[in-house]
Amino acid sequence: MLLRYITRRMLIGVVQLFCLVIAVFFLIRLLPADPVSRLVGLNSSPEGYEQAARQLGLDRPLFEQLSIYLGLSPDIAPGLLQGSLGVSWATGSTVGSEIANFLPVTLQLITLAFILAFIISIPVGMLGALNPGKAVDKGVFVYSLFAGSQPEFWWGLLFVYVFYFQLGVAPAPLGQLSPMTFPPESVTGFMLIDTLIAGEPAKFLEALHHLMMPVITLAFILSGPIIKMVRQNMLRALQSDFVLYANLIGLPRKRVARYALRAAMGPSMTLIGILYGFMLSGAVLVESVFSLGGIGQYAIRSVLAFDYPAIQGVVLVITAISLVVYLLLDLIHAAIDPRIAY
Amino acid sequence: MKTMLSTATAALCALSVAGAATAQEILILAEDVPAGLNYDGPAAAIPSSQQGMVTLLEPLVGYADGETVDGIVVPDFDTFEGRLAESWSYDADTLTWTFNLRQGVTGCGEATFNADDVIYTFERAKSVSGAAPIGWFLSNVASIDGFGPEVFGEDPAAKELGDSIVKIDDYTVQIRQAEPNALLLPVLTIFGLLIFDKETMEANATTEDPWSHDYVNNTNAPGFGGYCLESWAKNEQITYSSFPGYYRGAPDATRVSVRRVPQSSNRLVVLRSGQADLVTGLTPREYNSIADVDDLTVAGVTGNENLFIHMNFDVPPFDNIKLREAIAHAIPYDQIIATGYFGEATQWNGMVPSTYPGYAEVAGFNYDLDMAKALLAEAGYPDGAGLEAFAEAFALSYVAEKESTLGPIVNVIQTALREVGIPATLDPIPQTQYGDRQLVRRDLPFAVNDQEKPIGVDAGYAIQLFFVSPENGGLNNMVNYRNPDLDSMWAGARVDPDTASRDATLAQIQGMLAADVTWLPIVEYRTQWAFRDRVSGLKWYPDNSIRYTDLQVED
Repeated sequence: MLLRYITRRMLIGVVQLFCLVIAVFFLIRLLPADPVSRLVGLNSSPEGYEQAARQLGLDRPLFEQLSIYLGLSPDIAPGLLQGSLGVSWATGSTVGSEIANFLPVTLQLITLAFILAFIISIPVGMLGALNPGKAVDKGVFVYSLFAGSQPEFWWGLLFVYVFYFQLGVAPAPLGQLSPMTFPPESVTGFMLIDTLIAGEPAKFLEALHHLMMPVITLAFILSGPIIKMVRQNMLRALQSDFVLYANLIGLPRKRVARYALRAAMGPSMTLIGILYGFMLSGAVLVESVFSLGGIGQYAIRSVLAFDYPAIQGVVLVITAISLVVYLLLDLIHAAIDPRIAY
Repeated sequence: MKTMLSTATAALCALSVAGAATAQEILILAEDVPAGLNYDGPAAAIPSSQQGMVTLLEPLVGYADGETVDGIVVPDFDTFEGRLAESWSYDADTLTWTFNLRQGVTGCGEATFNADDVIYTFERAKSVSGAAPIGWFLSNVASIDGFGPEVFGEDPAAKELGDSIVKIDDYTVQIRQAEPNALLLPVLTIFGLLIFDKETMEANATTEDPWSHDYVNNTNAPGFGGYCLESWAKNEQITYSSFPGYYRGAPDATRVSVRRVPQSSNRLVVLRSGQADLVTGLTPREYNSIADVDDLTVAGVTGNENLFIHMNFDVPPFDNIKLREAIAHAIPYDQIIATGYFGEATQWNGMVPSTYPGYAEVAGFNYDLDMAKALLAEAGYPDGAGLEAFAEAFALSYVAEKESTLGPIVNVIQTALREVGIPATLDPIPQTQYGDRQLVRRDLPFAVNDQEKPIGVDAGYAIQLFFVSPENGGLNNMVNYRNPDLDSMWAGARVDPDTASRDATLAQIQGMLAADVTWLPIVEYRTQWAFRDRVSGLKWYPDNSIRYTDLQVED
């Protein structure tokens, strides 16, 4: 049953991805800008311009370009069907290899930030819900409002100023490692894992230290809405019939709270899943503040350069990951909520 | 608990300073690192990529050092000196240049430089096999024989080097021009004709990519420069090691790491903390904020960066000369210099960069509201009455990515224009869209532009680039200016072998351009850098890239 559900979802995902590929392909070509002028610069001749357009394949009819992109004309160039996302017009590297470099940086950042946000949000949200109207609940409310209401780049810059420039306890916002440190050989693309694989614990600690501020910044921002959601759902669960019954029969408070938390986690997990998908590209400002070359930065660079293959590749990959995350969420939902069956 | 906290803090502090550059190593923070190292490749137009190219590759000729301004050496554009070419001669009868190449030059790949490398470089340029044919374009600008538009046709023979550039012996090369053209030596100094190490290039060629574009786009640019590529992570960092065998002497900085830090405020903070040695691309306000900080130097030169207002001749009411003059008198030049550039700019009284050979000063406009109002009335729009019909045309476009620099300036301009009744609005647009509308569609009605730096250091080149009508070879005539007199004067000056008479014609052309307010020049602003006091020796080059070989670093 579960396998059939997963298969059905995967098939729907493929159809969704295909529709998205087609839509993105045409939409970016409607934008009022010209990638060729960026490529040749402002010191070019008409012949040079035409040559650059030919090199990019932009002299071909639109449907031929689509056919090449989809991989229906492998004699001209490999496309999606051959597993190729194309070649970046901005750098000349393959889009697949570039995404493989940029994506792990963001995944590492947001996964750690979500874990931290989760660790903070669950007890804090529960604390607020278990003490409604009391000082601690008001404190939780103020924190969640405060954390979620300011833009992340503002917090990031403030943290850099305070913790790096004034207090000197955080490293310079210069990426995943100090610029003077040789990075380990990239195996997985995840710096923390690669340093361990390379057997370099000092670099692992350095990478962890460099991740500290961006992770805290992002977790601080993310914890705001998660706390609110946990608190609200917990409050609702605490007022539900099964909790009232549990209280009536005298179950210990901790046990009741655990039951209520389980009921509250369903909607909260949905929010976390949506936020995770959003943060894949939404962490761009934090990446920018801390000079982390993540997928958000790559997406922005691609859009500004009108690098069509890169834009298409980023959208495709982020959508695919989001679909997988949503699928996992549904499965987790089913695991924690016995009312859901497939 | 207190002890634990102190220990943790101490450990974190130790970690946080671990990244500081050590003696003879320098850390530079920039807006970006090279996206590619191939001047015929997709990243050729990006300044950070050009920085990578000039670090690894060498030109045949360069400019001699000129005067030192505020600690920065500027080139003497009238004097060329040898780089990979040791000397040269010119035969006017056959339009042929003979270059005697330097002997004993080696590169990072241990190859020895000789005529084959020069021939290879021009063969590659003429193959027009890269994404952007910059090498061909520069050769074409210099009128090298055979480098015409025919290379883009179907005939493969047109892409072969032929006999216009020939190897006489291992250390002598001849280049023949199709017509007299003073631009040959200037274009040989430009990044788009730097010399490749043929051996290494060919070792990395493939059947599909015989000119090694992929290799240079993504791996290395092998040449004969003072630095060798140590590591390169696009969008992140590039590190160079000095090449002890560099023919101009081993560089002082043994290792140069350039780190991408997108936020200019972070570049500033890290420089101030002492962990970086040099930063580029700060805003004028940020440079100004550290001008008096101990241990830091902010230096700059008036090179070739400027700001002008673009008014499109094809879009009414900008075809009205009186309206153009009215706008010119409504601009508060001094206020822009003070608020936009914190005094690090001067009013630009020219149509080409004032440092370029052939530049002629033209009569500048002064801020005079009464005069502006009188000219507006003369144009047929007293107090701006009637201009509301052109609301779309008065949307002042500028590059949105430059908001932090241009934002204060366009606000000053908008306020000043509204004061005389011109209904200006602001229209920030992305760089790519700006480039498309400027270069391809040429339909930007009204814009502020601070990014035109002609790569050929010559007033004539700038005129050909910006002001000759498109029908007669104007390449980036963004305002659709058409003046048959100018076109014919330039056609004569272009092939005029007599420098004095050529300069006289160029001066006349610049006068015509100023009289027509072809562009409204506002300011020339200083190209600036901020660096720690342990770094010195900076020189300015027209591509605005630093040559790390120039830098002196104290231990």
